[in-house]
Amino acid sequence: MAPVLAVEDLTVTLTRPGGPVPVLERLSFSVEAGRTVALVGESGCGKSMTALAIMDLLPEGFARAGGRVLLAGEDIAAAKPARLRALRGSAMSMIFQEPMTALNPVYTVGDQIAEALRLHQRLGRRAALERALAMLRAVQIPAAERRLHAYPHELSGGMRQRVMIAMALACRPKLLIADEPTTALDVTVQAQVFDLLKALQDEMGTAIVLITHDLAAVADIADTVAVLYAGRCIEQGDSRSVMRAPQHPYTRGLMGCTPHLRLGAAADAGVGTLREIPGLVPPLGRRPAICAFADRCGRADATCLDNPQPALTEAGPARAVACWHPEARAA
Amino acid sequence: MTTSTAPAPIGADLLQVNDLKVHFPVPGGGRVHAVDGVSFVVRRGASFGIVGESGSGKSTTAQGIMRLVPATAGQVVLRGEDILGVRGARLRQARRHIQMVFQDPFASLDPRRCAGDLVAEPLRLLEGLSRRQAAARLDALFAAVGLPADARSLFPHQFSGGQRQRLCIARALATGPDIIVCDEAVSALDVAIQAQILNLLAKLQAERGLAYIFISHDLGVVQHLCDEVAVMYLGRIVEQAPTRTFFSAPHHPYSWSLISAAVPAGPARDAFKARYLVRGEPPSPIDPPAGCRFAGRCPFAVERCRAEDPALLATGPGHYVACHRVGEIEAPDFDRAQAA
Amino acid sequence: MSALVAAEPAVRPQPVRSETAAPMPRPASNPGLAALGLFLRNPSGLLGLAILTGLLFAALAGPHLYGVDPFEIVGAPFQPPGGDPVLGTDYLGQDILAALLQGGRATLLVGFSAALLTVVIGVTFGALAGFFGGRVDAALMKVTEFFQVLPTLLFAMVLVTLFGQRIVITTIAIGIVSWPPTARLTRAEFLRLRGLDFVKAARAAGAGPFYLIGRVILPNAAPPIVVSATLAIGTAVLFEGALSFLGLGDPNVMSWGLMIGQNRAYALEAWWTVLLPGAAIFLAVLGVSLVGDAVNDAVNPRLRKRS
Repeated sequence: MAPVLAVEDLTVTLTRPGGPVPVLERLSFSVEAGRTVALVGESGCGKSMTALAIMDLLPEGFARAGGRVLLAGEDIAAAKPARLRALRGSAMSMIFQEPMTALNPVYTVGDQIAEALRLHQRLGRRAALERALAMLRAVQIPAAERRLHAYPHELSGGMRQRVMIAMALACRPKLLIADEPTTALDVTVQAQVFDLLKALQDEMGTAIVLITHDLAAVADIADTVAVLYAGRCIEQGDSRSVMRAPQHPYTRGLMGCTPHLRLGAAADAGVGTLREIPGLVPPLGRRPAICAFADRCGRADATCLDNPQPALTEAGPARAVACWHPEARAA
Repeated sequence: MTTSTAPAPIGADLLQVNDLKVHFPVPGGGRVHAVDGVSFVVRRGASFGIVGESGSGKSTTAQGIMRLVPATAGQVVLRGEDILGVRGARLRQARRHIQMVFQDPFASLDPRRCAGDLVAEPLRLLEGLSRRQAAARLDALFAAVGLPADARSLFPHQFSGGQRQRLCIARALATGPDIIVCDEAVSALDVAIQAQILNLLAKLQAERGLAYIFISHDLGVVQHLCDEVAVMYLGRIVEQAPTRTFFSAPHHPYSWSLISAAVPAGPARDAFKARYLVRGEPPSPIDPPAGCRFAGRCPFAVERCRAEDPALLATGPGHYVACHRVGEIEAPDFDRAQAA
Repeated sequence: MSALVAAEPAVRPQPVRSETAAPMPRPASNPGLAALGLFLRNPSGLLGLAILTGLLFAALAGPHLYGVDPFEIVGAPFQPPGGDPVLGTDYLGQDILAALLQGGRATLLVGFSAALLTVVIGVTFGALAGFFGGRVDAALMKVTEFFQVLPTLLFAMVLVTLFGQRIVITTIAIGIVSWPPTARLTRAEFLRLRGLDFVKAARAAGAGPFYLIGRVILPNAAPPIVVSATLAIGTAVLFEGALSFLGLGDPNVMSWGLMIGQNRAYALEAWWTVLLPGAAIFLAVLGVSLVGDAVNDAVNPRLRKRS
């Protein structure tokens, strides 16, 4: 089956005085219907730019400098503006981190969900509102009839994110891009929102690109994962397998520096210092030609310092890693 | 319940919060009971963690203790003195001993002042030092948080998020406090940076015998750093215990819900979530209902829970729970969750 | 333990392992200096600055270089420009160039002082109201509203009539009628800023209310206030012109407004007697507006890039 989304060698640059600076370099991944791919990394690694590049909504100054984005086989870059507008919101849609600022405060949530339906599916006002109500029910908002006429500020954070999901999925898009969808939410609400996304995905067969910094979320809902570092994909593969045995030292570092909950008898175990990754992600325009992680990496040696950036190469079944010395052990 | 490998030696009582209440009037009538009778003790050199969701009152508790919002009732006794009543020089004296680090290092530093000025500010305001005297202490403070001394002439926007949080910590350390209130101090940081800051906080605690009130929504972080944990729900502490006791055998259904949301993914987690994760969101803290505040979402609530407000009662050494049904309902098998 | 201290070396030169090791940021890029740099790169702002500097120079040095008393009758009235007094004479036969140079002093002095007064009153009211809120805010805002609903020109005329047609009174009258918008602006900025974390952080560091107002919040509220102060100069110049035009200027101090006021009856026959001081006022207001806009542009994209 052809993937819903195929990103091939996507490169995004930022125009600066003194020449374009690469933001995202030769990123490739794909996601099939009903599956979820997670893009993971720290802020500044390029994960949100990927989302915007897929939607062709790159901010001013940023431009796609190479590669293709294929949505159900159709090249987004070649699409005319009118075609793009038709695709956005119907074939592909997006949910954002902060549901309060992503919703328009002066319209009721019902009107906002109905808007997309009227625009893309040419539904009448009444029919669109009915569908909006059905969507609010689908995202499990209690007292949906009443909430249809509520304004965003009258809803709680979790409720607003549910409204965002209802809006995004109203036209049954093939692709949903979720940019840190639960970061602003409480932990118990987070878990509920992920459950909801999974349930709706099963029902509609939506492909999801999940952008997150939270490895726990990856393990929770992603089928495959791509770890980004300084604009490049440094490890990719089946999410279970990557989480069980990360091969890139950066992926390992990310997993090691999150405190893991120890429950029951294990709670008695002593606490050591957290493993940390020293240093910072190199800022835009200062990325080295060698492996960008080399100066933070405990395993870096002469090979890493003298050779250009290692390419993403196959490393086991459905796995790829960009490292001169990948780890072989399990985490 | 405690094991022989006790946590780092912990001293006498340093800070006592007694029945702290912070209520706000809301336009149109009613009062937000943001903090509604919270009591706990922080001991010298110990870390006291407060967890809860938004609206639980954990940040307001911090701000009430710091006198950033006026307390409606209660006492905050620091080194034997109730600091809620003091003013002027006595307040400045008290503030030297209790300092705060905020969540968002982008928002909590004045963008128009350079790093050196910002770190020197508490020294100048609280100890009355001259610019020159304060400057003499900056090198040691910058070194303590792992920033180079020449960073003092830079402005906040020239620092990364983690470095800004280091600046905030240096500022909090300036007057040599006994206790630092950390309000979600690592939540806004990337995980790799979060680990650096957590390790820095642990190191400073070990070196200086600092106590922390560590407010967080992240149970993993709290377990890592804290000696004691209190769970807040709608302005009240519903469970409080030494960290090990809490994570090995929590008693309150709300604690179970928080934990089940944080259990690593896997089949055990799915089973856990199905049984213990509560649905919906906390109700509004405006004029909360009688009875247990969690009753409306609690899967185990009975008639009594809706009628009668449970008191926070001891169930073991240092372990307090506010639930009518302690012992009546079977606790989750956390060993199984861990094994998964 | 050393690994704990040696973290995040973006502001310290790392052990150079990669060819593009992170360099030190430029030392001390003060946000104020950055704004100044932006201002100096704005052509219309520079033009405004040049106009203002020219006018100020003419007003300050002009009367010394061109030693003619503007009140002295130097020849026949209504001599057109291009003759002996190079810009002609007015209805009394006074030298218009001398009057323009001397009058610039008074007009610009009134403009700057009245603007200063506007800012001092406005910022004080706005800062106290916005910072303390509650009853203080309600009381101060009532006063502000009272001044705001008064018809400004009429009120200024009353003040000048009551207290005398002197240049000091004119200045004070202009200041008193024009501060309410500045107060509202300052109050809004204070309301926005006082809830921010860095203000809370300063309180936790022991800052008292007046330190918070003056050292913490005001510098952050300054950009829009500076812009409004700049524009207030232009308004004050116009105001002075209007008062003098209505015959309420100080008759003993030459000003551009006074020149227009005294010659207005002959504007059709001797256009230069009115048009020349009018052009001077126009230039001054234009200069101030250009500078004000440029200041606005320079300070508004505040801390443009965070990363």
